[in-house]
Amino acid sequence: MREVKIDTTPARLDFIQSASGLILALFMWAHMFFVSTILLGKDVMYKVTIFFEGHYFFGESYPLIVTIVAGAIFAIFIAHAAVAMRKLPSNYKQYKILKNHIQSFKHGDTRLWFWQIFTGFAMFFLGSVHLYIIMTNSADIGPYASSDRIVSEWMWPLYILLLLAVELHGSIGLYRLALKWGWFEGTDAKKSRIKLRRMKYAITIFFLTLGFLTLAAYIKIGIEHKANAGERYHLETSVVEGVK
Amino acid sequence: MKIIYTDVLVIGGGLAGLRVATGVKERGHDVVVLSLVPPKRSHSAAAQGGMQASLANCKMGEGDNEDVHFSDTIKGSDWGADQEVARMFVHCAPKAIRELAIWGVPWSRVHRGEHTSVINAQKVTISESEEAHGLITARDFGGTKKWRTCYTSDGTGHSMLYAMDNKAKEEKVEIHERLEAISLIHENGRCSGAIARNLMNGELVAYVAKATTIATGGYGRLYSVSTNAIICQGIGQAIALETGVATLGNMEAIQFHPTAIVPVGILTTEGCRGDGGLLLDKDGYRFMPDYEPEKKELASRDVVSRRMTEHIRKGKGVKSRYGDHLWLDITILGREHIEKNLREVKEICESFLGIDPAVDWIPVRPTQHYSMGGIRTKYTGESQTLKGLYSCGEAACWDMHGFNRLGGNSVSETVVAGMLVAEYIADFCDSDESALNIDTHTIATFLKAEKDKMEALLTKENGEDAYVLRRRMESIMMEKVGIFRNGEDLQAAVDELEELYKRSKNIEVFRSKSRGANPALVNAYRTQKMLKLALTVAYGALLRTESRGAHSREDFPERDDKNWLKRTITSWPDENQTIPTVSYEEIPIEKMEFPPGFRGYGKDLTVVNPETTKRQGVVDALTEKLVREGANRFEIQNALMPYIDKLPKKYQGTNERLGENV
Amino acid sequence: MSEVKKERILKISILRFDPTDPKDFPHIVTYEVEEADGMTLFIALNEIREHHDNSLMFDFVCRAGICGSCSMLVNGQPKLACRVLTSKLDANISLAPLPLFKLIRDLSIYTGEWMRGLSERVESWIHDKEEELAFDKLEQRMEPALADEIYELDRCVECGCCVAGCGTIQMKPNFLGAVGLNKVARYHLDPRDKRSDEEYYEIVGDEDGVFGCMTLLGCEDVCPKDLPLQSKIAYLRRMMIQTAAKN
Repeated sequence: MREVKIDTTPARLDFIQSASGLILALFMWAHMFFVSTILLGKDVMYKVTIFFEGHYFFGESYPLIVTIVAGAIFAIFIAHAAVAMRKLPSNYKQYKILKNHIQSFKHGDTRLWFWQIFTGFAMFFLGSVHLYIIMTNSADIGPYASSDRIVSEWMWPLYILLLLAVELHGSIGLYRLALKWGWFEGTDAKKSRIKLRRMKYAITIFFLTLGFLTLAAYIKIGIEHKANAGERYHLETSVVEGVK
Repeated sequence: MKIIYTDVLVIGGGLAGLRVATGVKERGHDVVVLSLVPPKRSHSAAAQGGMQASLANCKMGEGDNEDVHFSDTIKGSDWGADQEVARMFVHCAPKAIRELAIWGVPWSRVHRGEHTSVINAQKVTISESEEAHGLITARDFGGTKKWRTCYTSDGTGHSMLYAMDNKAKEEKVEIHERLEAISLIHENGRCSGAIARNLMNGELVAYVAKATTIATGGYGRLYSVSTNAIICQGIGQAIALETGVATLGNMEAIQFHPTAIVPVGILTTEGCRGDGGLLLDKDGYRFMPDYEPEKKELASRDVVSRRMTEHIRKGKGVKSRYGDHLWLDITILGREHIEKNLREVKEICESFLGIDPAVDWIPVRPTQHYSMGGIRTKYTGESQTLKGLYSCGEAACWDMHGFNRLGGNSVSETVVAGMLVAEYIADFCDSDESALNIDTHTIATFLKAEKDKMEALLTKENGEDAYVLRRRMESIMMEKVGIFRNGEDLQAAVDELEELYKRSKNIEVFRSKSRGANPALVNAYRTQKMLKLALTVAYGALLRTESRGAHSREDFPERDDKNWLKRTITSWPDENQTIPTVSYEEIPIEKMEFPPGFRGYGKDLTVVNPETTKRQGVVDALTEKLVREGANRFEIQNALMPYIDKLPKKYQGTNERLGENV
Repeated sequence: MSEVKKERILKISILRFDPTDPKDFPHIVTYEVEEADGMTLFIALNEIREHHDNSLMFDFVCRAGICGSCSMLVNGQPKLACRVLTSKLDANISLAPLPLFKLIRDLSIYTGEWMRGLSERVESWIHDKEEELAFDKLEQRMEPALADEIYELDRCVECGCCVAGCGTIQMKPNFLGAVGLNKVARYHLDPRDKRSDEEYYEIVGDEDGVFGCMTLLGCEDVCPKDLPLQSKIAYLRRMMIQTAAKN
């Protein structure tokens, strides 16, 4: 057969889109678990925070670590947005065709995709703001600092929107990713798809519930702490000191 | 005036047409295919069951070869077939199927080891040999001694057609879709192309070609209920008939398939019975063994259809608002088998009947299915009377089916005839004989004649409604020219059809006056053509006072070899006649390899021709002598009826089989 | 059985247009048809043409769900009309031609031209340069399971439903669509086709090919033949990524 020189860029872009999406989605799951530790008490959340600042490894906290991680996520976020943008309607005509198609076709998975475009587009802005703030204010994470930001610094409206966008986009994205690459296909792809879809809904509901409870907890603390906004949290028992 | 010149014009884009087109293209001739629909939508796709070829790979096919396939085919034809043509066919069928395998048809394969199968309502274990593993397998079909019908699950025709169409694309065969040939250009006994109408915009185009091939399939839609696609209206045969020069053969030989669903007439494949399905009556009683103790449900199609009709007439049919029917029971095969090998049947049952064939019985009755008759040709596929006109596949009366076709021999014929006729056409085009000498004036005359006909249909006032005429024709054919026929009904049919034909000259296209895409106009001119064809069928049936194969006369139940071992030849030499001209072509017994005998169904009602006994004596003596001398089967065959020289050189080689010629 | 069932009156609204008529424009015409037992859209449409309006154009060939000619939008859903029982629909039925394909007239569309282009683009035939037509010899062997698997993908009838159900191709008409990707997967699977992975990559390794698919799965859900489109497109995507990684 003849020698063929192929252009591997489209494959790379496709791979980057899926891989970055997967990393971001898994990161968001982990992130949600971390921030939701506030539901277990301020102490727990505080310990988790300083854990990520390297406290348990180095003996003191380095918020720079968080800055670096946030920066890395921001980079992946931008990469994902850049490659995923190729898929969006690129002019009004295309948008209109798509809109009509969705309206007349009434097809679940196509509609889901529309939600993904919508939430993805929203996150260009919402996600960027959040990531930038965390990157530049990485020291201001903690039971009080975070709550203050949410309430006293008026971040709660953004977080509500961001939470909705992230959870919808992420779970739809993971579902689509599994189908796109044929993961968990088993012997009957049609049956596995039904299972995957059910799982997707379960995951969305779970994370949205967890997310809103968490946000409520921070808001509650934020309101209670409004008078002392800016003050940092300290453990009530100082066991931490003893750990090297 | 739009004229397109090419070497070979092929009318019809089904299996036969496409195979001819790729064949001549490979030989270096230009070719244009005209097709009513995208070729992949042709009716060939609907052949679910399979293609007969004596590969002898599977256990139940062991010992099969050309000789067995030949004798099955001749018996099936009730000795109406041309035996030389049948020989050419059985010799080339293995080649055709292997060629298709190379071109990509995913034939179902033999799997080594044991598998269970249902034979005569019993579960049987069959053990396939190691050495056959991975070769093309076969299933059982009616009227065959061996399991010889090769298949791809239940989409054989579909897979074959797709492979063939893809091959044509690879060869860059030019295909003009949605073009309908409406008349043949001819002069002095020489056909030089066709006038075609573009169904998308109404444009008339003249195609001028050295050779014109009609491969438009059958004419089942003359009947109100048919398994055929709705485009199988016999327009190819009709335009040949309208030349007044070309002849049609055995038009009355119409096959009824035993198992089409009620009421819509969609086919459930013979594979249902081949794989072990049973026919049951209103009491759930399996009646076929009473009539045909040996072959039971797997008797030849014409026989099963008649037995079913007889049984219904005895009052054993299941009553329904669409008339009486019987049951086809495939539940015995099990869900797994049905979902894998008979999936198309399952889909049809679900979509059109709302039943599950793994649990429910399927309502069936015999329904018009196949046209053995068609454009009468020589073994080369060329019309006997109109030079430069060729035909093959169901459209032709090449005559390998005689008065009844075996299941699985039709798709097989399309590709075998296609590959042979392509060679003969290419030879013709290579020779000086094929030189055309036609002036544009002649072309213009033919073009204008068609244009005038269209205008007349569109501008006529107070004329006839084509739909009314056509529906009447369909029911006459159904009621009076059906499975069982008799003189009285046939005479009435001919009379009324003649009347309808006269009225059809006065058809008016109501309201829909577009010169472009216009379904009403299409229906109008097709109805005129179909009525002519219907007359050839009914009139041929009326005149044939015997019963042979699918032509069954209640008033003449004998197969009369003394008077009727001949082909009906129909023509329409004068534009103004209202009934076709009929003549007969003898089928010479003294040349037969396999002289007429008893088919083995029911009572032997043959009126024996004295020639038969004589010929049988000659055949027996010669065979015995050669066997004594140690001759092999090829030498014996060649001594009885030489045919191999008639084949194109490239197809003369002997076929390999496991344990033979390998 | 004595009670007379009152049949429904179906109101069938059809999007009609004759592009060859300069005076015509797309408009909806509603026809009333009395429903009958076991009525399909094939029967209903023929009744309209025979008794109400003989100029109505639509395509049926096999009328048995085998040939793929009669695909149209039935209440917005791409379907083979011959297989749609009216009893499963509401009395108000809307019919429209499939989008994207060239319109011939009314419900009749020119899928043939589109599918031909597609076949030529992906070269949907066996590529084997050394192939000699050894038709006298025993055929090449093939594993029975593999033959079945190829047939499974070979079952496509090119009806165009998957194209009409694909959001991607609506926006980006150069996209191959499920019908094209399925063909490539079919030949990729077939050992008789000797094309290398790189040659396949040339055909589908870009955003008009497999990387353009956004996995909306309209194709999978409307395919009248239940082809495993999602699974095969995923397979093709994995193959093409592997091929790119090798290079």
